[in-house]
Amino acid sequence: MSAMGAGPGQVITAQGLTKHYGNVRALVDLTLDVRPGEIFGFLGPNGAGKSTMIRTLLGFLHPTRGTATVLGLDISTDSVEIRGRVGYLPGGIALYDSLSGRDALDYLVDLQGREPVRREELCERLQMADGVLKRRVRDYSRGMRQKIGVIQALQHDPELAILDEPTEGLDPLMQHAFYGIMEDLRAQGRTIFFSSHILSEVERVCDRVAIIRAGHLMALQDVDELLARRKRKVQLRWRGAAPDLSGVPGIADVVIKGDEMRATLLGEVAPFVRAIASPSLEDLTIEPARLEEAFLEYYAGDEASEEMRG
Amino acid sequence: MNPRLFLQTLRWNQFKLLAVAAAAIGWGLLLPIIYTSFSDAFRQLVNSGTIPKQLLGVGSGNFFSLPGALTIGLEHPLTIAFMGIFAVGSSVAAVAGERERGTLEVLLARPISRRTLYRTVAAALIVLLAVVMAALLGGQAIGIALQGLGDQINLAYMPLVFLNGLMLWTAFAAFGLAASVSFDRTAPALGLTMAYLLVNYFLEILGSLWTDVAWSQQYSLFHHFQPGEILTGKADPLDFVILAVAIAIPVMFAVIVFPRRDLAAPS
Repeated sequence: MSAMGAGPGQVITAQGLTKHYGNVRALVDLTLDVRPGEIFGFLGPNGAGKSTMIRTLLGFLHPTRGTATVLGLDISTDSVEIRGRVGYLPGGIALYDSLSGRDALDYLVDLQGREPVRREELCERLQMADGVLKRRVRDYSRGMRQKIGVIQALQHDPELAILDEPTEGLDPLMQHAFYGIMEDLRAQGRTIFFSSHILSEVERVCDRVAIIRAGHLMALQDVDELLARRKRKVQLRWRGAAPDLSGVPGIADVVIKGDEMRATLLGEVAPFVRAIASPSLEDLTIEPARLEEAFLEYYAGDEASEEMRG
Repeated sequence: MNPRLFLQTLRWNQFKLLAVAAAAIGWGLLLPIIYTSFSDAFRQLVNSGTIPKQLLGVGSGNFFSLPGALTIGLEHPLTIAFMGIFAVGSSVAAVAGERERGTLEVLLARPISRRTLYRTVAAALIVLLAVVMAALLGGQAIGIALQGLGDQINLAYMPLVFLNGLMLWTAFAAFGLAASVSFDRTAPALGLTMAYLLVNYFLEILGSLWTDVAWSQQYSLFHHFQPGEILTGKADPLDFVILAVAIAIPVMFAVIVFPRRDLAAPS
């Protein structure tokens, strides 16, 4: 699946973007768009082509075929200008170990040629106090390095942030703080392109999601729409006669065991609830639709799906 | 050129530079002292036939004249080590080292083109090499003054020796940088650059020790660094032209290849 609209006015557009390394097809005919002011999730297991896509957008890699623009600029000819307007967090970021955290941030923002207008706020939210910033990067834990990585990507308040697995190494508290930062940036009209292999965080913060598998775009959809199309697991228990669900649209996989029933429900919940509404109903559980289900559908039987739950 | 990157590149090297420059001054200072103390003894040894003349020199240098002794100081393996720290070590680490550490990606995420990065790093390397070369020659000048040998040499030629030496080492640094932008890891870039340096040195030394293969020196860049000739007013402009070509070729290669390379994620 690769034919998604990539119109003008979008923050990122890619048309038939293809990248081969010799015989390895890292990206295949990938077409997508990222709209202004959205958090766009780019989802796939390790090796699916997420980082290749990001590196191609930033001019580190040259596409084999296809075209792409970032902020209206061509990735092949305007990559320097693109990088001047983007904040980028590489996956597994490496920093200059001999510098202190503050010196590393100063150095990188100087090279960016912009003022670090957001640094103070980001340091506060990610709990990088002055004392911590004075320490050398070589003494930092993995999580602290990742926080410096997030700060360096966002400190100059870029129009577009491209973040490659940004919560890698962050503890749950800091992940929560990071999600808050994402939501605030979205509220302020910034656009975020966010690659991840953690389904729960994409589900939590992203407006739209692209699912990539072996360099192919498998899906590109609103997260809400994707979830609405998922099957939910339902479970109910009653006294007396079993409720009649034959007329309920979307009900399938019905298994009745004694006074307990398990089934799957696709689509709207209301007709199902109306059908079971009865004084004899004792218990009802409707599991929320999860992105994991959608993902597994695209990766059915693939080992890669095992590493994607979270 | 990016001024911030230029300054930071110098800063990364500041302690190394201080140590090497101090050692280079000491080494440069020693040569006039060795010449004063031992040149007569060396001459007697050669005249007596105890030691062949070739064994008392390095490359085109010798201990029988002050310019010859200064040439030894500038072609000695110790000098190769001082200059090689930057011409080989720092040049190879400039891009391949950043790539290996993963920091090149962070650097190039800024609005800096690869050509600008190359130009900036190259400029910083030239400054580093210039400081060490100046330290060597400065040490020699101090040694000459301390030994009262000023009448044996025309110090006005020193800037030309400096330029000749700087061009020689810039040629090796340019090769190192070309290797650095061509590999993702430092080991192959370092190996290639070291091999280039050693082959050049070997050809020069071989030709100076074995007269039958003196022709081999023509193929060594070291043979086109002629402080002794320059200090006696016999500089050959062709030496400068050859070194300029030896600089230009790897620079052109790097400027063409580096922007076209794919920089895949560090492994």
